[in-house]
Amino acid sequence: MPPLTSPSARGTNPSSAALPIDCWYALADSASVGRDLLGVRALDRPVLLYRTTDGRAVALEDRCAHRAYPLSLGRLDGDVVRCGLCGFGHAPDGACVAVPSQPQVPLGARVAALPVAERDGLVWVWLGEPGRSVRHRVPELPWLTGDGWGVVGGQREVDAGYLVLHENFADVTQVPFVAPEIAPSVLGGQAPDLTVEVTETTVTLRRTFPPAPLPGWQASLVGAAAGDDYATAHAGFFLSPAAWVDHWDVTGPDGSRARLRFTQLVTPVEAGRSRVLWRVSRDFAVGDASAGTRVAGLFEEYYGRVFTAMETVQAILDRDGPGPEVNVSADVAALRVREIIAAMLAGQRPVRAAQRAAHP
Amino acid sequence: MSEGSTISGTRTTVREHEGDLVVESAEVVAEDVVVLTLVDPDGDSLPPWTPGAHVDLILTEDLIRQYSLCGDPSDSRTIRVAVLRSPDSRGGSALVHDRLRTGATVRVRGPRNHFPLIASPRYIFIGGGIGITPILPMIAEAEASRADWQLYYGGRSRASMAFLDELTRYGDRVTLVPQDELGLLDLTTILGDPRADTLVYCCGPEPLLAAVEERCATDWPVAALHLERFAAKVSQAPAGGERSFELVLAGSGLTLTVPPDKSVFQVIEEAGVSVLGSCHEGICGTCEQVVLDGEVDHRDSVLSESERAANDAMMVCVSRCSSDRLTLDL
Repeated sequence: MPPLTSPSARGTNPSSAALPIDCWYALADSASVGRDLLGVRALDRPVLLYRTTDGRAVALEDRCAHRAYPLSLGRLDGDVVRCGLCGFGHAPDGACVAVPSQPQVPLGARVAALPVAERDGLVWVWLGEPGRSVRHRVPELPWLTGDGWGVVGGQREVDAGYLVLHENFADVTQVPFVAPEIAPSVLGGQAPDLTVEVTETTVTLRRTFPPAPLPGWQASLVGAAAGDDYATAHAGFFLSPAAWVDHWDVTGPDGSRARLRFTQLVTPVEAGRSRVLWRVSRDFAVGDASAGTRVAGLFEEYYGRVFTAMETVQAILDRDGPGPEVNVSADVAALRVREIIAAMLAGQRPVRAAQRAAHP
Repeated sequence: MSEGSTISGTRTTVREHEGDLVVESAEVVAEDVVVLTLVDPDGDSLPPWTPGAHVDLILTEDLIRQYSLCGDPSDSRTIRVAVLRSPDSRGGSALVHDRLRTGATVRVRGPRNHFPLIASPRYIFIGGGIGITPILPMIAEAEASRADWQLYYGGRSRASMAFLDELTRYGDRVTLVPQDELGLLDLTTILGDPRADTLVYCCGPEPLLAAVEERCATDWPVAALHLERFAAKVSQAPAGGERSFELVLAGSGLTLTVPPDKSVFQVIEEAGVSVLGSCHEGICGTCEQVVLDGEVDHRDSVLSESERAANDAMMVCVSRCSSDRLTLDL
């Protein structure tokens, strides 16, 4: 059966500059948000993250109410952020509470305070209309902190748009080509049947591979004997523009199971640039520190290669335009992700200027 | 729907999320209106959705009904639907009322959304009878977005109108119009001030939808009106009977024939290509396909006039082709 060659008629173009705003994004891991001021960029906005004296994570617009200077270059006075340039003080709710040059604080002077939810060891921030935050859910990712899981991970800013990244995660065809030595050997063989399950806002893909030897790194960590074949079940989940999760569960000849969870947390920094926090969770060799080191090294290498490939894709899209694409039947998950994001973009509106910051 | 297309021996099947949910509560909230709260039997999270979304309740193998979600989208544990016992239905609503008591199990497909709430600084919501259901999460969303909005909610009588208690919190944004006290919704006044910054959302019985459509057609911007139908418009089969045409599935490399007595959907399925479908009446929007070539004869109740005119998408369960050949991106 020949593949389809046509300009994509569905959904957003992967080089689209629009960013989905009605979504919780994991801006940082909990450990990196503390009593030091942390400045990050997300959805083309500067964001300041810190923790109050009672341990609550706070997200503010990272720009002093007075002039264009990042609050993250200032310092903390208790829970108040002092601008490093003019000394204006800002409370955790964004209100300007102190001005060094006069006793009165200008009426209404404030920076935007962004809704924050801390869960599964991550600081999630809502950058859209603040009132809408309570109407949307933070993804549940219990394997990032739960008992019985060993977790390694890293973070990288990638010169590729969030949609290019999600389409890569949705692409079941490419892992063996990007990283043949890490990939389960099952990926090199005949592709198994693929089931794609859709809802209004999510996409799930599932496939089950027939028994085959585990890749070397995993075989040694689960204690597989030479010649043991493991059946592999893969499920990939587009949860939101902020999160793609993969489950890789293997079952040995004796019925023993070993589970891997790959969590890819994507934040659009701006059009064509994203920050990705990646985590690999395993429920085998959990207490084994050297196993953790080995898994971390392998997947640091793997994600490095994936992200470099995505930067190449983005560079070509930027230079030569979207161009025609060949879609095959296995691309249905990626195309559905495009449709979901297109619907999100069609329904959103920019945050009102008044909420970005009320400058006196 | 379970048939797959085959490439190099790999079968790809696309389907909607489907699962058995348990009725946590079934509460009569108005005359002939029951509200079902549904949960996963294992307590698992239910898929996220946005205002305007609906699900299929699969009551029997060939009795599938669409109901709007009318709860809180941030609640991952439950979904809520409201069902009117309708005397002229083919038995779906009666079955819901009679059998889906607390503790019963029902198969649920979706959610999907063909009535999405587009962001706007201002809205006019018009709900007629049980058509209030998709509007409920919409007004909560509008309120959370700090939009300016008004709801006009008509019904036979106060006793027949569901959710009146939930609506009191919105004060004078909500205008209740029980027909036995105040007559029909006064659309001339409600829609008398066409504005470029306002979107109109309406769900209710066909006469109300038709009246709102007619009222908006004269002086409202084309894209302002959003409607949802849960009953099919009267089908417009040609006087001379249906004709056959050629069907090309570009991606699959197949050329097929659609005979007068079969739908495009049936012919695609019989050729072994996986497509989504649900209501088979042109009202749920599940089977929408991208049209590459051919003149579509639209028979559905989903697409707007401008979407029909664009001729780039169709509901393959009911719509056909008025030219000799139809080419789909499938």
